Amino acid sequence: MGSSDERVVAVIMVGGPTKGTRFRPLSLNVPKPLFPLAGQPMVHHPISACRRIPNLAQIYLIGFYEEREFALYVSSISNELRVPVRYLREEKPRGSAGGLYSFRDYILEDNPSHIFLLNCDVCCSFPLAEMLDAHKIYGGMGTVLVIKVSAESAHQFGELVADPITKELLHYTEKPETFVSELINCGVYVFTPAIFAAIQDVFMQRRGKAELRRVTSFEALQSATKSIPADYVRLDQDILSPLAGKKELYTYETLDFWEQIKTPGMSLKCSALYLHQFRYTSTHLLASGNDTKRASITGDVYIHPSAKVHPTAKIGPNVSISANARIGAGARLISCIILDDVEILENAVVIHAIVGWKSSIGKWSRVQGGGDYNAKLGVTILGESVAVEDEVVVINSIVLPNKTLNGSVQEEIIL
Amino acid sequence: MKALILVGGFGTRLRPLTLSVPKPLVDFANKPMILHQIEALRDVGVTEVVLAINYQPEVMLNFLKDFEAKLGIKITCSQETEPLGTAGPLALARDKLIDGSGEPFFVLNSDVISEYPFDELIKFHKSHGGEATIMVTKVDEPSKYGVVVMEEETGKVDRFVEKPKIFVGNKINAGIYLLNPSVLDRIELRPTSIEKEVFPQIAADKELFAMVLPGFWMDVGQPKDYITGLRLYLNSLRKRSPSKLASGAHIVGNVLVHETAVIGEGCLIGPDVAIGPGCVVESGVRLSRCTVMRGARVKKHSCISSSIIGWHSTVGQWARVENMTILGEDVHVCDEIYSNGGVVLPHKEIKSSILKPEIVM
Repeated sequence: MGSSDERVVAVIMVGGPTKGTRFRPLSLNVPKPLFPLAGQPMVHHPISACRRIPNLAQIYLIGFYEEREFALYVSSISNELRVPVRYLREEKPRGSAGGLYSFRDYILEDNPSHIFLLNCDVCCSFPLAEMLDAHKIYGGMGTVLVIKVSAESAHQFGELVADPITKELLHYTEKPETFVSELINCGVYVFTPAIFAAIQDVFMQRRGKAELRRVTSFEALQSATKSIPADYVRLDQDILSPLAGKKELYTYETLDFWEQIKTPGMSLKCSALYLHQFRYTSTHLLASGNDTKRASITGDVYIHPSAKVHPTAKIGPNVSISANARIGAGARLISCIILDDVEILENAVVIHAIVGWKSSIGKWSRVQGGGDYNAKLGVTILGESVAVEDEVVVINSIVLPNKTLNGSVQEEIIL
Repeated sequence: MKALILVGGFGTRLRPLTLSVPKPLVDFANKPMILHQIEALRDVGVTEVVLAINYQPEVMLNFLKDFEAKLGIKITCSQETEPLGTAGPLALARDKLIDGSGEPFFVLNSDVISEYPFDELIKFHKSHGGEATIMVTKVDEPSKYGVVVMEEETGKVDRFVEKPKIFVGNKINAGIYLLNPSVLDRIELRPTSIEKEVFPQIAADKELFAMVLPGFWMDVGQPKDYITGLRLYLNSLRKRSPSKLASGAHIVGNVLVHETAVIGEGCLIGPDVAIGPGCVVESGVRLSRCTVMRGARVKKHSCISSSIIGWHSTVGQWARVENMTILGEDVHVCDEIYSNGGVVLPHKEIKSSILKPEIVM
């Protein structure tokens, strides 16, 4: 148990608007961290996980979005969860370690004994309290959350090698071409304040090298065109890699689910993972279909209290319905995210799709995706205010905001 | 005199360009589309232009502030809270259009590019004394549009036929009207179509006349027509003010180059090219039938045809960009890449070739 002197600060990296174009078209209307998964904004999930850390003093969200995009959310979540949350805007890209370092005064204000760093677009069970306990036992500067994945998919991530007994991080490499290890970096870390000294060391080393290079003007020219700016410090390549094997960094393995939410298709998959997790952590959030006066519910379903669902509709599994949506008689929804103010008319069918804010789905129309979360057109996505007319079929397509579909489409992107 | 320009909605057909600015502000021949119309109206004596809009009014209002002073004409907005069709906006802007002078007012469709022969339109309108005049243009395939059936000598309009199955005439509505204030009494404030509800009424009262639009006409609301429209526009510019076009050994056909653009050595530019403010075209570049928008850079040895290069984009060295490639704002095509009809949303980098037409989000 932590003593009252041991305060913890959590930092969640939320990214920015011109990064992550892979989340289009949904990111055309809402910053990705605020897109809802299982009925709550994406960033809500790591934030509520942070609440389970003993002695949590403060949560910082760090990103490139304008302050006003997060102002409303931050004040309402601080109230709702009774934990101070603050958004800090990065002025220029400095890498994840560089960004953390640039806000060290805020982070160290509460004199924390430990600092969590999480990436917002990671979907997992966030076993943060357990990770902190393990970290204290290891006694190093940092602990990285890791998970085993299939050998074929490991190359997409940061691969690491850990000592099976001491759990020390022995080796780290980012997206290697050849196979190194099935253990990968989950993008969740806990550090002691010594991390800032480690980051500062990177700056010092860079400055030293730069001074040496100035000796030959030719070399200076080469480095100027190729190297990254001196204050751009990446956590993975510049901190984890060099410090691996030096008894500073350790690993904590999670056996639960883990995914990265990079595309709209993945957001549907991750929404399902969180909905399933609600069965264990927050059953009150899931809809139940026991009442014959209400719609038939199967599997994990979230329905916002203000949404209206006709009793003859059948919903689920894996459906999330947001505020003020209206689901008409005889509608069938499977594996989909229905956003705010959507109207789904009678007998419509929606499968493996994301229906954007204020859209309308006509009677007997069918909006469907193949269900391959990783394929470019595997999940049908309708942007904001898209109208699908009666009896129209939309399959494996992406439709940008403000369009009306009066004829069927398949495998198409409609601008 | 007053004028109303129907700006309308989202401009989805001109995406990805309209993901960055509202359609009337998309540049055409090096200036915002709507500026061509506003300037022509000002030149014929219009003192106030009302823009009927229902999308991104803040962006439009900012633009207007910059241009009102420079242009010497008053520009106001009339904002629709629900889409009102092609006639409803006139009812909404009624108070701005009627000033008690009894003068007719212009109504223009914002997507239309032409020579805007407004003087002739005014003369014709006064000569026939009818309530409304619409300009019509001759097309090859009238059944794609609404055809205006009229008496050839007087121009009196008999009727409108929407997408006729048999040949009834080859003149279609050009989207340029001159209307007496009394027309506003015929329009209710609700979603209304001017071609389907208002004009047929006026024609039945024998008060509607049509004038064939001299010169070129194009609806530039979609990329294919935008590129054709540029050709027609530059052709017309050659006849009216040839000095505005570029000339030199490296220029072929009609080419418009903004005075702040820079062109390198050994290039071959044209025909039908517009190069916008602050653009840099490096040496050895071939450009034909394309638009390069403000701030874009075209690197050495590359070749662009039948495409639109959006604001602040770059086209890499030895890249080949053709066949209706549309680059949105801030798109960077890497060196040696081939794009065959790629339609690229803003803020993207193209690192691998696009072999057949494809949307890149």
